[in-house]
Amino acid sequence: MIPSAKRLIRGPLIRSANYTVESSITLFLYVFNQLHIVFMRIVPQSVRVWWQKFLQDIFIAILKVGPIPEHVSFIMDGNRRYAKSNNLPLKKGHEAGGFTLLTLVYICKKMGVKCVSAYAFSIENFNRSEEEVQTLMALFNAKLEEFANRAQDYKDPLYGSKLRIVGDKRLLTPETRAKLKEVERLTKDGKDFTFYVCFPYTSRNDIQHAIYRNSKDYIENRIKLDDINLEKFSEKMYLDEFSQKCDILIRTSGHRRLSDYMLWQSHQSSTIEFVPTLWPDFTFTQMCLIFFRWSFFTTIQMYNEHEGSQQYIWKNFLPSIPFMNKTHYEPLESLADPPVAVSVLG
Amino acid sequence: MTMTEAQAIDTKYLNGNTKMIVENDTDEKITNLTTSTGSNFHIPPPAASRMKGGSANTKRRTVHAISNSIFVDNRNINATPKIIQDNNNNNKNAASSSSSNTFWKNENTNYFKFTFYKIVLAVLFFMFGIFRYCQLQYNKSKLKILDLLYNPSNTPQLIRQDVVKLNKIPSRLAAILEVKPIGDVGGGLKGILNDASELVCWTISAGVKHLSLYDYDGVLQKNTDELRNAIYEHLSIYYGPANVPNFAIRIPHFNKILYNTKVKGDIKSKVAIEVSLLSNRDGRETIVDLTRTMAELCSNKELNVNDITVDLVDTELKQLVGQEPDLLLYFGPSLDLQGYPPWHIRLTEFFWEEDNNQVTYSVFIRGLKQYAGCKVNVGK
Repeated sequence: MIPSAKRLIRGPLIRSANYTVESSITLFLYVFNQLHIVFMRIVPQSVRVWWQKFLQDIFIAILKVGPIPEHVSFIMDGNRRYAKSNNLPLKKGHEAGGFTLLTLVYICKKMGVKCVSAYAFSIENFNRSEEEVQTLMALFNAKLEEFANRAQDYKDPLYGSKLRIVGDKRLLTPETRAKLKEVERLTKDGKDFTFYVCFPYTSRNDIQHAIYRNSKDYIENRIKLDDINLEKFSEKMYLDEFSQKCDILIRTSGHRRLSDYMLWQSHQSSTIEFVPTLWPDFTFTQMCLIFFRWSFFTTIQMYNEHEGSQQYIWKNFLPSIPFMNKTHYEPLESLADPPVAVSVLG
Repeated sequence: MTMTEAQAIDTKYLNGNTKMIVENDTDEKITNLTTSTGSNFHIPPPAASRMKGGSANTKRRTVHAISNSIFVDNRNINATPKIIQDNNNNNKNAASSSSSNTFWKNENTNYFKFTFYKIVLAVLFFMFGIFRYCQLQYNKSKLKILDLLYNPSNTPQLIRQDVVKLNKIPSRLAAILEVKPIGDVGGGLKGILNDASELVCWTISAGVKHLSLYDYDGVLQKNTDELRNAIYEHLSIYYGPANVPNFAIRIPHFNKILYNTKVKGDIKSKVAIEVSLLSNRDGRETIVDLTRTMAELCSNKELNVNDITVDLVDTELKQLVGQEPDLLLYFGPSLDLQGYPPWHIRLTEFFWEEDNNQVTYSVFIRGLKQYAGCKVNVGK
């Protein structure tokens, strides 16, 4: 009897809980966005462009003074859905995605991020239709050349960046491999910023590759068995010194899974953000809000960790209060002798 | 205080402080846990570390942190070295020698400008803090309402009824649990045992056959007997003492299997659920250990280096750690994988509720709902 009564109560209530309540941050962004759109419609084009650039520069300059992530990673998901929803051919969707990526990489570099990595092509993507794979490869080559040229152009904001294409390159054709090598060679002197393009990459392949390289080095007597440890293991991975940790991993299009990407880098203490927008729609504002949020929490975390350290200048000027901060301990024997103990019993 | 409780305390946040207390006299257990690099502390991602723990994270402290951040001079850390732009001589040679681009030089090296931006950033942080507080309260009340809607949940029929509506359920489920401060609701060793056994009951009732429980320090692994009793007690609340379903607890790291104490029928053929207990030890370290073993085998000519493929590593890790789960539930405020075995989260769907800090049925069932709605297409 009781379960049926419960069913009566629970039935309608649970149905009402199925509505996904808009989370407040989306609501806030929506309102802000709408106001901004209205504003943008009123003003003329030149003002609009100037205003957008101005806002971007200001926001970057402000964020730059706070803590900055070192390694940012993107899973670019949703290009095809974008094309489908806008009635465009698939190629256009991928092109739009490539454009977004270059824009965001530029912003990251400007902000002072040391390394950006992006999931360009998964090993599993070879399962797609021949035509699409070809399109992707062609587009990829074009984008890489554009990036390499820009990285060499002295007046370009991307100047001084290093491009690395990582992944299981055995799966590519020899021509493509030669081309990638050439592009990497062009930008190998960049020191300010590294851009890793994962192509064709899966994280399991990355880990297996590291195991393989470690074993190979061991049998060729280049390392000892003790050198295979947690710290040195990841040096043999594709992303070199950035393999240990990825600070922010952003996945667009709303799926809440990693899809074989950056498993090793992001399974410990990294912020993983799942964004519902499709990749070509992912904008500067959204990325900066993620960075801002990260920066906010990192500030607090750093304060909790470094409290009382030299980093906080004003603490040096505070007068030291005796007995408040003990730095030195006296042994019991060194204390002055207590008065004579006398019992009341005599 | 029993011995096991004492064991739990030394590997737990004390008074909610972010610093952990590890006592030296219990080094017997600690050696099991300490990594080869010696680091035994998990540093959560910034957002999660802010929302966990009590006294370390009051509002006052946040205000302190933000106002202090104005005075931190981190120009040398973030900014590239200052380069004075030379208009007469900005040819390519000058730029390549300095490795930094003078066209896009860092503007923040000016101290006053830098301080001004710092203050603006702090003001923005304050505003965000207020917004965040509202968001936190909103999320908390949302979770309260959800909890009310999905309560009471200690009846298997009701759970099954909720699950039957879904078009698919995961075949393997995983959950990340954590030991909370003793002062909190559901804190201490008792808290985590209770959470784990509740979860086992829900999983059995939902019809999922495999469950992996992960906790960073391996507290569950160390207290298997208590866990076994707790699960048994909870199951007898759900199903009655007369017909408690059989269960098996597997600890891949020690290669050990435990069954429930009072066996009903043939135990090995009719296990309703297999619970595997994982800890940080099963993550990166297992992979590194595997590498060492493989390196040694290779040097002894028992294995060819070129035979180390993804498939071989996968089979080995499946044996050492277990299968990849389909759905990973995290009962904390913001996603923090805490070093869950990296090889095993390839296509795993994650679920957590924003700002939730308790193991509740509503999170569990909403996770299953999300899984039922998701579509996996490997590469396609």
